[in-house]
Amino acid sequence: MRILKKKSWELPESAVTSEQDFINRRRFLKAVGLGSGALLGQSIAHAATSGFPSPLNSAYKLEDLEPTPYDLIKGYNNFYEFTTDKGDVQKLANQGWQSEPWEIEIGGLVDKPMKLDVNDCISKVGGIEQRVYRMRCVEAWSMVIPWDGFQLSKLIDLVQPNAKAKYVKFTSFYDPKSAPGQKSGSIDWPYVEGLTIAEARNELTLLATGIYGKPIPNQNGAPIRLVVPWKYGFKGIKSISKIEFVSKPPLNTWKALQSREYGFYANVNPEVDHPRWSQASERVIGSGFFSSRKDTLMFNGYAEQVASLYEGLDLRRNF
Amino acid sequence: MNEIARFLKKSWVLYILLLTPVFYLFIPQSRSDTEYLADPAKYLLEYVGLSATILFVIVLMITPLRKIFPKSPIIKAFAFNRRQIGVSVFIYALLHLLIYFAYTGSWSGFVKDWEKLFILSGIVALVLLLVLATTSNNRSVRILGGKRWKRIHRLAYAIMFLLIYHQATQEKTGYRETAKIFAPLLLLQACRIGLHAKYTFDQRSKE
Repeated sequence: MRILKKKSWELPESAVTSEQDFINRRRFLKAVGLGSGALLGQSIAHAATSGFPSPLNSAYKLEDLEPTPYDLIKGYNNFYEFTTDKGDVQKLANQGWQSEPWEIEIGGLVDKPMKLDVNDCISKVGGIEQRVYRMRCVEAWSMVIPWDGFQLSKLIDLVQPNAKAKYVKFTSFYDPKSAPGQKSGSIDWPYVEGLTIAEARNELTLLATGIYGKPIPNQNGAPIRLVVPWKYGFKGIKSISKIEFVSKPPLNTWKALQSREYGFYANVNPEVDHPRWSQASERVIGSGFFSSRKDTLMFNGYAEQVASLYEGLDLRRNF
Repeated sequence: MNEIARFLKKSWVLYILLLTPVFYLFIPQSRSDTEYLADPAKYLLEYVGLSATILFVIVLMITPLRKIFPKSPIIKAFAFNRRQIGVSVFIYALLHLLIYFAYTGSWSGFVKDWEKLFILSGIVALVLLLVLATTSNNRSVRILGGKRWKRIHRLAYAIMFLLIYHQATQEKTGYRETAKIFAPLLLLQACRIGLHAKYTFDQRSKE
């Protein structure tokens, strides 16, 4: 386990994207957006998240992180709703599956439930920002992804969960007609994930709506997905359609499938192996055949922000 | 049919067929596969392992096919080359292990993995394949004598079960891939056992 220096992520004010760069970038992104929008036969004006500026939050731009190339982020995906083949998700998720318009329902044990368009949701929480996070898959590979999104805590403040709410349950879409993987009976669709309220309120927990300043591609979980960077990637449920505040821990899909191998917490932990492979190190996506393995960090390098959430908890049993 | 069979018996034809998995890697399309670009070691690891497994399934399909179609010259040609195909299984499996070494990235990581049944099953299968590959020449058959040689080479069935386990435990949901690879072989072996049972039954009723 690496000991993090206090505030290791802080950058000088000068490193923040300047306004001019920012405007140029938006112009460039608009051009890119126009290209892909035209390809899908849709107008970019409605593309979820495309109208929102996404300034870099320098508090979450770790200096030593080299972002994974965009092509690999959108070409190497686990999204079993389409296929178990990581290289084929990109194709299959863009063959008629509609990720917009997209409604998201937030309810359960809250005072102000709501059901609204994802773009309205972004407006309500006050827009999005860019954060660069490590992403560690339970399969022992990793990426670095510049997400665009908003802190989940902002949404929680809006709906005001009551005192009985202890957990947050996230549910993805169910559309076997356009998501061929959902025709398979081996998983009980739709995909479900969960967090404790404290985890959901943590400053790191993000609802992402973009990557590299562009609306999140279908295969990465358009138009809105969860990002919990200190947990294994499968906790980051994609294409969320429902968020519920509940009193009991929700049974997440992978735990339901293989409770011996996947738990509720799924915190990145180099000391607790997966039954079939070691979690002590990870392969860095895009770094070649040799020398592409590096040591996995406790809580994926975010111990400073989250270790206190699990004080007194046996992490070996609560994997 | 006889023409094709004669063609298949030629050793250069056999070598080209056995090298198909290697040639396939040089098709630009497979090299631009994002899975290859994202993690080439993992891609090659799985690819070479699958090649070895498929060749192994082909080898074990030859005997039942010969029992079911005793007159087919093409199956006879495959049977003629069976030992060479078997040796190629070992070579691909060894390559699979070497890539696995690169994939784990360190000797300590590599050795530590052996305690996992998923990995151990593959290593045991490879050791057994080594035994079979080193005795797959005419001299070994002569030295061991036909009967003993045959008995040793029945280890292939132990390898079959190890490979089924090795393949099945690497699937995350269900066993669809494993079923796809091994179903034809298991089906043919069942037919062979059926035929054998019928034959002994017929013999007995004659007595």
